[in-house]
Amino acid sequence: MNGDALEELLGDPYDGSNPTGHAAIVAADDAGEPCAAGEAVLDAWQANAEYVPAELGGRLTAVDELVRRLRPVFRRDAGLGLGHGLTTLMASLNVWAAGTAEQRKHLAGRLLAGERVSVAYHELEHGNDLTRNALRAERRGNGFVLDGTKRVINNAGRARAAVVFARTADPAAAPGGRDHSLLFVDDLDRVPGLTRLPRLRTSGLAGCLLAGFGFDGAVVGEDALVGAVGTGAETALRSFQVSRCVTAGVGTSLLEGALFGVYRFATERVLYGRPVTAIPHARSVLAGAFIDLQVAQALARVAARALHLYPSVAGRYAAAAKYLAPKITENALADLAVVLGARGYLREGEYAFVGKHLRDIAGLSIGHAGGVSCQLTVLPDLPGVRPTGAEGALFDDSPLPELDLGELRVRAGRADPLLGALEGVADDELRAELASVRADAAALPVTERGVTASHRSLALTERYAWLLAASACLNSPRAADPQWTDAVLERIGLRSGRTTERTSTAALDAAYQDMADRAATGRSFDLDPEPVLRALA
Amino acid sequence: MNSPDSTTVDVTPADVAAWLVERIAEYREAPAAEIDTTVPLAELGLDSVYVLSLCGDVEDKWGLVVEPTVAWDHPTIDALAVHLHGEIAS
Repeated sequence: MNGDALEELLGDPYDGSNPTGHAAIVAADDAGEPCAAGEAVLDAWQANAEYVPAELGGRLTAVDELVRRLRPVFRRDAGLGLGHGLTTLMASLNVWAAGTAEQRKHLAGRLLAGERVSVAYHELEHGNDLTRNALRAERRGNGFVLDGTKRVINNAGRARAAVVFARTADPAAAPGGRDHSLLFVDDLDRVPGLTRLPRLRTSGLAGCLLAGFGFDGAVVGEDALVGAVGTGAETALRSFQVSRCVTAGVGTSLLEGALFGVYRFATERVLYGRPVTAIPHARSVLAGAFIDLQVAQALARVAARALHLYPSVAGRYAAAAKYLAPKITENALADLAVVLGARGYLREGEYAFVGKHLRDIAGLSIGHAGGVSCQLTVLPDLPGVRPTGAEGALFDDSPLPELDLGELRVRAGRADPLLGALEGVADDELRAELASVRADAAALPVTERGVTASHRSLALTERYAWLLAASACLNSPRAADPQWTDAVLERIGLRSGRTTERTSTAALDAAYQDMADRAATGRSFDLDPEPVLRALA
Repeated sequence: MNSPDSTTVDVTPADVAAWLVERIAEYREAPAAEIDTTVPLAELGLDSVYVLSLCGDVEDKWGLVVEPTVAWDHPTIDALAVHLHGEIAS
């Protein structure tokens, strides 16, 4: 299957008899189980092929294209998208980045056969602090002996293989960045001393099968090692950049799906003798969420394209996008729930999925890399950050050069092409904000540039991320439409807390009309619309 | 490619080490004399995020875009200074 048919395979989400529609998905979520019919569709579509580079027989070429192709599933169910396999990508990226030709080929074969791979970084005691990971892999003979526990690992109960982040350095020695290594452990059921731990239930992403691995003298061969001993952190920090961009991007589809649902509700629901869509407050919330979606997608898309075009600074954009895009999405979803009113709290009915999306986005924000850990990636970069020239290809849909994971850097330099591109298009307010962020960052004392930074200093990373979002929007092809640009600028000012609402609603009215036209003609609300199988009531 | 804020001519490894000591003393809020240049950076109380920040200082001062991997592979001030000096000189 070529991968273009996913929307058709998943069918109309509002058809109550559709086994992959909203009703079935909400029922599975309530039961705390993956949506079986949805997993079957993703298997038939060979979702795993999306995670395998084209040169190894898969369909992965560009990261922004991957996000685009996963939209249909994330519009409907983030738990399904993540649970079925996005974590397989997160695991595999390490092998694509640092594995031998043999390992890459072997893993590609596993994925193309539909097998899942778990990504075992997380230890409950250490959260996102990778350097403190304690699971031990001791070299013995022709391999490693593993002792320790990994928890909150997606698909740990059923994956065929796992990529495990393990301490290979002497635990008594002073900690450093070369303490850990990555191991690609295949055929988990055949590894002596390895047990699959019980499932952990969660409030969001309830259908994800999170569990753990226990290693008790588990023996794996030398061939499990991915890259050299001691390169685990380096490889993981490169892979994260890709998975952060993907997570930021697909997360916006929760807002896309919910926005259509709430708009659909508002067109059919009559209050005070008129449809909800005729109530100005509801209209402005809907139009605002529509703009929020475009802003979040513009940011996530630029971050994904930067992986290809500006790999040396892409890590900073990935972290900024992973911080801000889910936050924009979550805030907009919370606003939309207000329009649903009492229905926003119901676990049943046609719109129960909106509440589910709201629960799921929180999990997507925390999972993999929490907000603060992303902010701490950005903060030390900001003092001295320097706008430089940028290619137009960062912002459009033109074909990208191949992704070279080896070109991604563990730390981005001071050069900043996105800020450079902003300088050329910014209005006076944004230009002043850019100058202010640079000046405030430069003035940060050294103790305010890292883990000990106050919330005030950390807030600079959010202001920086909003500047990136503004650059992404103002340089996008959509910016040819002055009303769209106007709406976006107002929204960014408002959402970043920098400006207050304008008195003229012309730009927001135009955005509302665009949204209504798309809803009526079966086109999605995305920055780049696509056909969608759903209709107004 | 950058514009370092001081001339890099005639810089010695000892100069680079002294500059690193100053940075780290400032961060640790400790006298420079108390900073041991021969022990692993982690023993000086430096976390992974600070190392990112230090890399930024290196870029601003010497015009070198460096990654934390440099500090991982040369984990004492003396070793780091020798390595950075080699990069500055070339």
